[in-house]
Amino acid sequence: MNTSRTMRALADSSRREFLKSSAAGSAGLLLAFYWPPFARAATRDNDTDDNAGEPNAFITIDPNGQIRLVITRSEMGQGVRTSLAMILAEELDADWSRVEVGQGDCDPKYGDMTTGGSMSIRSTWGPLRKAGASARDMLLTAAAQTWKVPKGECSTTGNNLVVHAKTGQELTYGALAAKAAVLAVPKDVPLKDSKDYRIVGTKRARVDGQHIVIGEAHYGIDTKVPGMLCAVVARPTVFGGKVKKFDATKALAVPGVKTVFEVPAVELPPLFGEERKPGSGHQHYLWGGVAVVADSTWQAIAGRRALAIEWDSGPGADESTEKQRAKLAELLKTSGKELKKIGDPDAAIGSAARTVEAEYETPFLAHMTMEPVNCTASVRDGKCEVWAPTQNPNALATALASVLSFPQSALTIHITLIGGGFGRRLCIDYGVEAALISRAAGAPVKVIWTRDDDIRHDYYRPISRHQLRAGIDAQNNVTAWSHHIAAPSTDSTFLGGELPDTGGTEIAGTGLPGGTVPNYLLQQSFLHTAVPRGYWRAVDMNWNHFAVQCFMDEIAAATKKDPLALRRQLIASRQKPSGQADNEGDAPVNVERLLAVLDLAAEKSGWGKPLPQGRGRGIAGLYGFGSYVAHVAEVTVAKDGTLHVDRVVVAVDCGQVINPDMVAAQVEGGVVFGLTSALYDEITIENGQVKQANFDTYPMLRIADMPKIEVHLVPSHEAPGGIGEPGVPSTAPAVANAIFAATGKRLRRLPFQTQELAQS
Amino acid sequence: MDAISITVNGQPHSVEVSPDTPLLWVLRDTLGLTGTKFGCGQALCGACTVHIDGEATRSCITRISSIAGRNVTTIEGLSHDGQHPVQQAWLADQVPQCGYCQVGMIMTTAALLAKNAAPTDADIDEALGGHICRCGTYQRIRQAVHRAADAGKPATSAAKPAAGGGAQ
Repeated sequence: MNTSRTMRALADSSRREFLKSSAAGSAGLLLAFYWPPFARAATRDNDTDDNAGEPNAFITIDPNGQIRLVITRSEMGQGVRTSLAMILAEELDADWSRVEVGQGDCDPKYGDMTTGGSMSIRSTWGPLRKAGASARDMLLTAAAQTWKVPKGECSTTGNNLVVHAKTGQELTYGALAAKAAVLAVPKDVPLKDSKDYRIVGTKRARVDGQHIVIGEAHYGIDTKVPGMLCAVVARPTVFGGKVKKFDATKALAVPGVKTVFEVPAVELPPLFGEERKPGSGHQHYLWGGVAVVADSTWQAIAGRRALAIEWDSGPGADESTEKQRAKLAELLKTSGKELKKIGDPDAAIGSAARTVEAEYETPFLAHMTMEPVNCTASVRDGKCEVWAPTQNPNALATALASVLSFPQSALTIHITLIGGGFGRRLCIDYGVEAALISRAAGAPVKVIWTRDDDIRHDYYRPISRHQLRAGIDAQNNVTAWSHHIAAPSTDSTFLGGELPDTGGTEIAGTGLPGGTVPNYLLQQSFLHTAVPRGYWRAVDMNWNHFAVQCFMDEIAAATKKDPLALRRQLIASRQKPSGQADNEGDAPVNVERLLAVLDLAAEKSGWGKPLPQGRGRGIAGLYGFGSYVAHVAEVTVAKDGTLHVDRVVVAVDCGQVINPDMVAAQVEGGVVFGLTSALYDEITIENGQVKQANFDTYPMLRIADMPKIEVHLVPSHEAPGGIGEPGVPSTAPAVANAIFAATGKRLRRLPFQTQELAQS
Repeated sequence: MDAISITVNGQPHSVEVSPDTPLLWVLRDTLGLTGTKFGCGQALCGACTVHIDGEATRSCITRISSIAGRNVTTIEGLSHDGQHPVQQAWLADQVPQCGYCQVGMIMTTAALLAKNAAPTDADIDEALGGHICRCGTYQRIRQAVHRAADAGKPATSAAKPAAGGGAQ
């Protein structure tokens, strides 16, 4: 945008005020306002003034009527560029075709630009509406002053016009923008009544769809800058391994190869934490290795093949999946750190009429974004310019400044369109790597990770094992619930320590039973491993929720209750009043909304209706990321054990829906993401190395195995919840529970070991 | 390194690259046509699909030396301004999420429809079975393939009702 200087001045001069207006560069209207960082949910509707900081969000209305919103979140398929623009257009009563978005570069003036946690709409909904409504109000005032009529007689029409019905006069937003810009920003402008919405809640096409289908959407990997070279890196295949020595003679003989050099392994700062806590098990590092820089990608790949490298594997070489699984089982035999305790669970289980016990396992998983990890950097003359497909530009800036010893002012980070994030691009290792390679090569360099680089050097969803125990009384009531989680820490990558002193993290998905039974225990044990961990779409909600939702089904079976009826009973008997938080950082759960999505999924799926032999339905439901989501999966299991997921019915209450088609798309995608992990995927470690190398050994659900997915939305005008992640976690347990319904067999390990389903 | 001649989107090119260079990298790095995507490098995901003399082909494993003199069509040459019925259907059904795999999906579908104007679900499974979409858009892809096929039928034929989910 050509108004950046104005905006900066504005941001500097308007501390602690939510909204500030100014004449834009070319005599339009510029509104600067504040939206909170992604990590702080706008749990209270329209919660803006209380937390207002320096303006970090910007709208302009040009004299020609073009409306622009700078998007300071990353687009990776969730449709954020479209949905945020829709919210603005609604309150501004704008002509949708005149609203355009621009991607903001990483800049201190934009504040926290992190995209994750299904937070983008949650953190911007309130401020964006208020800004839109304020701008509209200013346009109305400008028109009323122009016509010398009462403002109350003026109205907007949804097509960038202010009209005065009595006299038939009308003025365009563009014509009014300059006049509006000199007005005082109004306070407490009323927001639209949701019944008057004409954009929010309607299906709108993605603003970037056309570029995608004609091949002109530019992802990070498509970056091209003058004088750019291409590089690939030979990284240590054993986690924590280092280069001992290498011979580049043959690599340098490959035509087009310019230079070959070692990239140092670098310890990186925590991604969200302030600083690394010594001895905390913090692990976030740049792999190091040997870079091959060439004129083109293929030459670099050919050069890498010709390298001779001797590695020092280090202690990580002893690790294997089998050892890790055994260690997790061992940890569950000891006492873990007690995170939550209600009543006397051990005594209650000891004295119960009977007990139900089960253990569940989930594997390490890779993100496998379709756009492989890549980054382009140009580090020259004391300046660093980066083109990064990143969800976490602020952390990249911090790390670049630290590793390069540059001031932040010497950094320019362009945030590109992202070909799939799912949490992988919250880690910034690859951005630092590209910068170091560019600096050493003395030229702009695009570093491309081949698919095996990508899968073998991920920050993985952690392996986990869960021990669940329940006490049941003579009347078939659940009197005690105990859950012990054993897993490596993921927060160690992000927060700088395994377990903040304040209490347990990485326990999302465990919450609800805790409030529903009189005696409850939650314990956690950490597995120490060199295998790096990261956030993977829906994070801890996945592994904890799988164990909890499968175990609920086991209790239902043991007490001869219908799985939905048991859930209804447990949820309804919740000890805490509705409105009290279950999980750290979550807004309070609303029991009625949770019951409603379970009921809706059941109703739409035909829950309880008989199915032929070999088929079954399973249910699971959650509250997470501010939304309520329930799945019913329907499966067929053949006599030879072949499993087919036929249908997945999902009921969603994500509060006010911005774009129902994009919500459905996110949920459809979430189900596929969950199914892929449940049916196929496992990262296994042998001699400290990832065994999988590509989509043949780490398969994805493909079109022929696609179940019918139905998404049903609960109409709501509650504040919006997140939707990128909450469609994932219930998928695997719903399928596991359906498999039990079809076969009477429990599969307690992901991915499903379907050979156990074969009838002998 | 001899020059190899190919025609891309109707334009003749002579490229001087190592003969084992995959067409994918010639398109992306040499000719600057970045619409064709790198996904796996082993013909496992379909993101790199282009047409060679009309056949949907994985460019990531196609050596440039093996296609000297042939005609290559990439997404940039499929239509002017996205008017191809497959591209229009992709927009109508709002198929893309991140969009990275969709160019490959569109190229394979365009080649399928050129040969089979009314593909069945089984035909679609077979044609697109080699493609991966990590965002999980398969339900909409199937719907869009049918829509594109219907768009090619005589105007009297009724539009196919929307298949699958999306309840709202």
